[in-house]
Amino acid sequence: MSEDQQKSRNLSNPSEFSDEEIVKSHVELAKFKHEPTKNFLKAPLVFVFVFGCLIFVCSIQLAHSTNSFQLHPPVDVVELTAEEKESMRLEKKISSGEKIFAARCASCHQANGMGIEGQFPPLAGSEWVSADAGVISNIILKGLKGEISVNGVKYGTSAAVNMAAVPISDREIANVSTYVRQAWGNDSVEVTEEFVSQVRSEHAAKQDQWVGDELRSMFSDSFGN
Amino acid sequence: MNNLAKFILGIFITLGIAWLAFVVGARSQYGDLQPTAESLEEDGSVPVDSDLFPTAFSGIAKQGAEEYAALGCVTCHTQQVRRVEAGYDVDRGWGLRPSAPRDYVLQDHVLLGNSRIGPDLTNLGSRGHTNEWMHQHLYEPQSIDSSSLCPPSPFLYQEVDEPVHSDIEVSSKPTGGNTLYVRPSVRANRLVAYLQALKQDYELPEVSFVDEEMEESTLVETTQGPVAADLSSAPTWLQAQIDAGKEVYMKAASGGGMCFTCHQTNGQGLAGQFPPLAGSDWVLGDKSRLIKISMYGLMGEIEVNGIKYNNVMAPPGIPPGSLTDDQIANVLTYIRNDWGNSASAVSAEEVATVRASLKGRAPMQMFTAPELIPPVQ
Amino acid sequence: MSEESPDQIIDRSAKYVFSFFLSSAGLWLLAAALFAYLAAAKLTDPYFLSTCEFLTYGKIKVAQANAFVYGWGGNAIFAVSLWILARLSQAEVRGSVFLIFAGVIWNLAITFGLLGILDGHMSGHEMLEMPSEVWPAMLVSYLIITFLALVIHRSRQIKETIAPQWFILSALLWFPALFLIAWNGLELNPSRGTLQTVLSMWYGQSLIWLWLTPVALGAAYYLIPAVLGRTIDKYYLAVFGFWCIAALAPWSVLHHLEGGPVPMWIPAIGTVMSIAMVFPIAVASTNFHSTAFLDIGKVWSSLPLRFVIFGTLSYTVSSYIGVVFSLPAVAKITQFTIINEFHFNQRVYGFFSMIIFGAVYFALPRITGREIPKAAKSFHFWTSTFGVLLLLLAYLLGGLTHGVLAGQPTLPWSSSVIQSVQPYFLITKIAFVILAFSQFVFVINVWRVIFPNPFSCCFSNKKEVSA
Repeated sequence: MSEDQQKSRNLSNPSEFSDEEIVKSHVELAKFKHEPTKNFLKAPLVFVFVFGCLIFVCSIQLAHSTNSFQLHPPVDVVELTAEEKESMRLEKKISSGEKIFAARCASCHQANGMGIEGQFPPLAGSEWVSADAGVISNIILKGLKGEISVNGVKYGTSAAVNMAAVPISDREIANVSTYVRQAWGNDSVEVTEEFVSQVRSEHAAKQDQWVGDELRSMFSDSFGN
Repeated sequence: MNNLAKFILGIFITLGIAWLAFVVGARSQYGDLQPTAESLEEDGSVPVDSDLFPTAFSGIAKQGAEEYAALGCVTCHTQQVRRVEAGYDVDRGWGLRPSAPRDYVLQDHVLLGNSRIGPDLTNLGSRGHTNEWMHQHLYEPQSIDSSSLCPPSPFLYQEVDEPVHSDIEVSSKPTGGNTLYVRPSVRANRLVAYLQALKQDYELPEVSFVDEEMEESTLVETTQGPVAADLSSAPTWLQAQIDAGKEVYMKAASGGGMCFTCHQTNGQGLAGQFPPLAGSDWVLGDKSRLIKISMYGLMGEIEVNGIKYNNVMAPPGIPPGSLTDDQIANVLTYIRNDWGNSASAVSAEEVATVRASLKGRAPMQMFTAPELIPPVQ
Repeated sequence: MSEESPDQIIDRSAKYVFSFFLSSAGLWLLAAALFAYLAAAKLTDPYFLSTCEFLTYGKIKVAQANAFVYGWGGNAIFAVSLWILARLSQAEVRGSVFLIFAGVIWNLAITFGLLGILDGHMSGHEMLEMPSEVWPAMLVSYLIITFLALVIHRSRQIKETIAPQWFILSALLWFPALFLIAWNGLELNPSRGTLQTVLSMWYGQSLIWLWLTPVALGAAYYLIPAVLGRTIDKYYLAVFGFWCIAALAPWSVLHHLEGGPVPMWIPAIGTVMSIAMVFPIAVASTNFHSTAFLDIGKVWSSLPLRFVIFGTLSYTVSSYIGVVFSLPAVAKITQFTIINEFHFNQRVYGFFSMIIFGAVYFALPRITGREIPKAAKSFHFWTSTFGVLLLLLAYLLGGLTHGVLAGQPTLPWSSSVIQSVQPYFLITKIAFVILAFSQFVFVINVWRVIFPNPFSCCFSNKKEVSA
């Protein structure tokens, strides 16, 4: 259909552009896309260009923001210096030790490490804690009986006390010992898991609890007197 | 376009592809997510004995979720903390970390919301608000924050003239700031239980806390907040005693009881070391024994539900033996009414009577089991 | 009249169906306007009606959206689609009894659904808040109407089809598909966790894009040539525009989940496809506006066309704004703000309803043979235009304020952020009053033509032949 014909029809009787004509003329339009013209059709070119640009922008956006279709967002990998890593490791160890202490030790030694006068010896400032790491590890592993003196005050246990009546792993012992040795103003070096397992195997055959003096003599150097 | 069948096929194919991606694809990607531990072993397995998160809501909190959905709270409140690069949510303190798909897998009604005329509620239960605060806020938000646009819900409460101590005190604006007392309905208690249960205060392997300092401060608030989500259906006077008792049980600072460190927050104790309270014949039995133990502690061998324990329970309280009559009454009422326990409450008068009967006993002198069990006649 | 043109025969066959759907649509429009006013009033004064449990803000807001989309939107879609399909097929509307019967069921289902919402049985799924008990009734009645619409289309005189038919047919068919998908994923085989949200949001947003939007576009593709008496300019683009909407729209709706607890690809694809939607939007607006501007004087003088062109302009502008707001950098500010209200109202008021108003004013005189007073139509046009613009401006500026202030963590939430937005709520309240008034005028206009003499119901006098 030529443009002139089209126009003349449109203008001839515009108010009576019936539905049939609407359908027919548009069907014609769809069939003959190229109206006779010498110039390029600008509109389709513009649309093709726009569409191309859109696809380009969209693919870049897709590649950047879909996180490779993973379920979970990327975890930020923070590059830490060796020092930071070390301090984070120690922090985690101590906070784990704190939880173990609260669950298994604080009922007697109290959350503040002060113990109960005449009943349970304090851990804060105790020479037994600041002594060689072997002391605290051995006590936790096997328990203690008899009378001991802590900071010059005597504490007696009528019965033998098992600190670890429920099995406790080397790692847990290392963590809780490290916590005890560094909390409430205590300032002793950390206890490693390897060290505890070494202590455990050293005394694997021992059946009964330690007596205070036994440990004192074993580690006499570190008690400082 | 002219063949109807082909046309219909075409429009359904275009819709179907999107359906495959967003409905079928997404479902197969994470339709079966399960709760997991806060961090995994290096080989990706869940560490033995670790707590799994998220945890399911208690029954009453689930009912509260129904109320929340039915009242249309989701119209103004979201329940999602966006990733840090996508918004201000973490900066506003609405969460310790972005929400993850896993956080919602146990919820029947996932109400993420899409509009924030009110603040985000993802971690409302971690903000340390008391139940009373929640009730006041539901009854009349403006009694707490006069600039709030949140509509009051007085229909969930009944105004009372003669308040008992568990009723809620509100200074209502329409009455000119007069104080009035309202009694929460069952539905209000359900809603509060649900709101208190809203928390994402744990880490997941796929998402960790954004700022460690915030974790500390919020968690402290949490443990001190009197939360008794699953007990709210108890009579209100009992509820108040239970709430107060739970606070004593959970408090690990001066003036608290710190009971949970040994008997655990779930009342299960530790096998072989600390006896359980949940279902314990000692806890559900004679009150005076319990009161005595709460004042003086217990040592030596004891048999609980047929299992022997031999340990030392220092006089409870920080400092030891410092619990008042009220505190003992409340904490005993609490342990007799949580974790499935259900036994009569203990009153402060009963505690006072027992205390008077023990006048001559030296402080801190722990009881032993034979002292407490009367000899067989 | 002794000699009837084919168009007049078709119009007569559509008369009862069209009148039924249109008059019920009008009632829903008024109900939605009432809910909209109540909701806006509750935001300006939280104590307003606060003692009524069945009128909480959350419930009213949801009831408004449902009354608007299913009540007004659904009935208007049935009325306009059936009539346009019949006209373009040159075929009579058959099975009027079944159509009206299905329409009654549809309306009853929505009525019970809304009562269910107000009574506290809201499901919490976007645009599917009505209790699931009414879903089967909705689906069945909808399928009856769609089936009869397809019957009209099948009996068409000309084999070839044109743009209005594509858009309207696909809208009619997409809805039940979406509905079934959502029903299956939320009720029959419920998904766990945030999959629920993904699905309900996909459904709720697609409803606007694949149901309301195509019908309005189809009506515009029909009305512009019919009124102007000229073919659509660059009509060859329409087919691309149609398939782009079909292919892209269902992908583009989930960008609202940006940053949320779903896999990142879901909102990311949503954003990307929203950007790609620029293409079909450009096609439609080129088609409409380059045709309209060939004869702008006539557009201005014809009231139906004025409504339609307002709608298409609004469609173009709102869609471009939507594209901008879906970009992650902007979404950071606009997400979760009352800009959502802007989008919703822009689409359902500024675009869909305006085009439907135009179609109704075009069709009604032809169907009933009675003219609507020009002043009444004109009054309706100006009040609704002013109301819509005021409403959208308030939501847009309010939403930007909301987002910018919310993004400053030191500002307290309600005393600072929300207080600054509150004046805009007051403006929306005024706008909703104006719109309610304007819609009341519309309904009066329509009812006066459908029921010229309310005391002798025209249904009892079937022999009456329209002029």
